[in-house]
Amino acid sequence: MTEPTLKDKVEQLIAENPVLLFMKGTPEAPACGNSMRAIAAIEPYGVEYAALDVLPALEPLREVTGEIADWRTFPQLYVNGKLVGGADIVEEMNESGELAELLGVEQPEGEPMSAKQELKADNPQQSPPIQIER
Amino acid sequence: MALVDDVKALIEGALPGSTAEVIDEGGGDHLRVNVTASQFEGMSRLEQHRLVKNALRGRSDTGELHSLSIKTSVPE
Repeated sequence: MTEPTLKDKVEQLIAENPVLLFMKGTPEAPACGNSMRAIAAIEPYGVEYAALDVLPALEPLREVTGEIADWRTFPQLYVNGKLVGGADIVEEMNESGELAELLGVEQPEGEPMSAKQELKADNPQQSPPIQIER
Repeated sequence: MALVDDVKALIEGALPGSTAEVIDEGGGDHLRVNVTASQFEGMSRLEQHRLVKNALRGRSDTGELHSLSIKTSVPE
């Protein structure tokens, strides 16, 4: 049996995780502003999500997501197997209520979480960080 | 040509009739674009953003453009 390719692994991740965020860095330590924005947009919903740090394999992952979803920049949010978009789209959908609808939860009340706000160290909805091998 | 002008020209070239407002958010390589185009009518946000991103592939592939924030709209 042949070794699974990176694309196989990514497709599997997308299929197995109802909410999946490809990002630079981790939810506790985002490495770029747009990744921080994506985390800040989804965290308040309290849904369980998986996060993959793309930095260890950035160019190969760009190629793979380019093939899978015709999208080469990060962060990228997938919900129920489909690409939702990057930070801009996720934020817009957050504000419009579309993201709540997509995630199947109530729109969070109050001010949207600031991207600079400290994330709780012990975060129950956060799956363990995914390590992907090249 | 400055990157900001280059980006504006690329987007408006790829979407004839569109208006692209390009703002440098710092460092010269973090840009924000507001694009209004009638071509966006009926398209999902994903499709609209793909159009803009594809117009700029040359600049993002070289690393000149590090990050791009996109807002799209249809003309009133």
